Amino acid sequence: MPQNTERLGELLDSLVPVLVERLHETGLGEIEIERDGAIVRVRAEDLGAPVAAAPAPSAPRGGTPAAAAAAPSVADERRHPVRSTAVGFVKLAPDIHVGGKVAKGSLVATVDVLGVAVEVRTDHGGIVAKLRCATGDPVEYGQELFLLESVGEGKL
Amino acid sequence: MIKRVLIANRGEIALRILRACRQLGIEAVVAYSEADRESRAVLVADEAICIGPADAKRSYLSAPAVISAALATGCDAIHPGYGFLSENATFAEAAAAHGLTFIGPSAEVLERFESKAGVRALLAKHGLPTIPGSDGVVADEAAAAKAAAKIGYPVILKASAGGGGRGMRVIQNADDLAQLFSLCTQEAQAAFGDGSLYLEKYLVDTHHVEVQIAVDKSGTALHFGERDCSVQRRHQKLVEESPSTALTPKVREEFLTRAAKAIGAAGYRNLGTLEFLVGPDGKPYFIEINCRIQVEHPVTEAVTGVDLVALQIRLAAGELMPMTQAEVERRGHAIEFRLTAEDPAQEFRPQAGEITTFRSPSGPWVRFDSHLYAGYEVPPYYDSLLAKLIVWGNTREEAIARSRAALREVEIDGVATTRDFFLGLLETPSFLNGTATTGMLDAIGTADILAAAPKARA
Repeated sequence: MPQNTERLGELLDSLVPVLVERLHETGLGEIEIERDGAIVRVRAEDLGAPVAAAPAPSAPRGGTPAAAAAAPSVADERRHPVRSTAVGFVKLAPDIHVGGKVAKGSLVATVDVLGVAVEVRTDHGGIVAKLRCATGDPVEYGQELFLLESVGEGKL
Repeated sequence: MIKRVLIANRGEIALRILRACRQLGIEAVVAYSEADRESRAVLVADEAICIGPADAKRSYLSAPAVISAALATGCDAIHPGYGFLSENATFAEAAAAHGLTFIGPSAEVLERFESKAGVRALLAKHGLPTIPGSDGVVADEAAAAKAAAKIGYPVILKASAGGGGRGMRVIQNADDLAQLFSLCTQEAQAAFGDGSLYLEKYLVDTHHVEVQIAVDKSGTALHFGERDCSVQRRHQKLVEESPSTALTPKVREEFLTRAAKAIGAAGYRNLGTLEFLVGPDGKPYFIEINCRIQVEHPVTEAVTGVDLVALQIRLAAGELMPMTQAEVERRGHAIEFRLTAEDPAQEFRPQAGEITTFRSPSGPWVRFDSHLYAGYEVPPYYDSLLAKLIVWGNTREEAIARSRAALREVEIDGVATTRDFFLGLLETPSFLNGTATTGMLDAIGTADILAAAPKARA
């Protein structure tokens, strides 16, 4: 499908430099974003040289992207999924975007349950590595809202 | 019109409702707790949503979680199944306030049929015989003694706020009453925060007989025959059948007609069950109503050919009764066995754990409703129902013979089940001749029933 390939090319050209810059700024091991049904992942290799990962097809909404699961790049103990504490509609806190810094115990989102805002707080500090939802999305109990990556002590 | 239903229940009934929705061309979303992620209804459903942790209070019993899940998944109706929130008027009202159709009676109807004493008075007014008893709550011991003398001993003293088999005591004579009245008041006060008592004639050797009814929004009420649920253990039903062996044909038809007429006139709507006790005199006395689909509904489906869950959904959607009473034909005899994860050899102790083998029975007129599969982990948090075996025959004898064969085909390993208890029951004379009453398991020990089961091949 040449059209798709062309679009992917444009996507990579526009996105990758920005992501690489973010990666350097934040000290994250990996950044992944989703655009137009494609997932673009930029990963820092062991010695710091960022490389662009091949775009993976988007997984169905609510599912775990298979390619991401199959690519263990950053040590798992550094990654902490932040999960919904209720079923309803999610609202992310303003600093929850890729690269955003989160302090341990801070309020990162609320879930609207029939007009009552149920709080989501994290057990870890870190930097937002991947968003799994957007404000206004319906979420289920326990659903992964975003992935936090802890960075070296003292960085936050 | 209902387009998309949230199924707010678990186990076999979630699967049953899912099947009814699919048959009606209605989309369905299964709501589940974290403990039920691997349940068959969740695996089979096109869509499912986790509503909370294993603790039912925070999932299946949480009205906000269930309603929020319905809104998050774009549903326009909720089916509560049985148990959990199924008869909760506050929940039904909250669902309606959020624009959701509650598949069951409306909040107003649930409220009107909430109080046991109130419902009894209401239905007595509409012509249903009730058990002779005190006129509501008895003020003190003197009033109780006066009422008991009028009714005749033995009587049963019941906590007005009690239920589910709790808060009742049998009183054999006037001396007992003098001794026990204040004790019962104190017990009721301690258990339910309300010490008020009423009394009823105590009927011994009763059959538990219930009538399946359905009422549309215009008040057209039909009955779908009766079910006999006399084989019970501590007020838990184990076996149900239709028709009942306790009613003569003449009593039966008059009784069923009267039940349908009374419930329609009393303002009930949607599906429901009227429970009666039938004493040795062969007369049914109304005791209580269940405002929901019941576990044992397939017995009625087997003898009438009516899909009750589909009917319930259509009535909730506002349709008129799609049939007349004359069109509800009852044929043959059906029996249901509740296979539970309980060990009959150990006082029916509940079991949990992984199902290692699961083979379901089959054959003509054999239905097996179950959410199990090999590898499924039975969670310890909920009720112990594993499967319902429903068998139909032209006659009761045929249904029994077919039940024996079907039960022998059931293979569930990994947890102890009640299968062998039922095989023994099917060799027990009082069950075979249809005289088993609710006191049966007190009269015949579980051990004797288990011993009557034919030995399995070594």
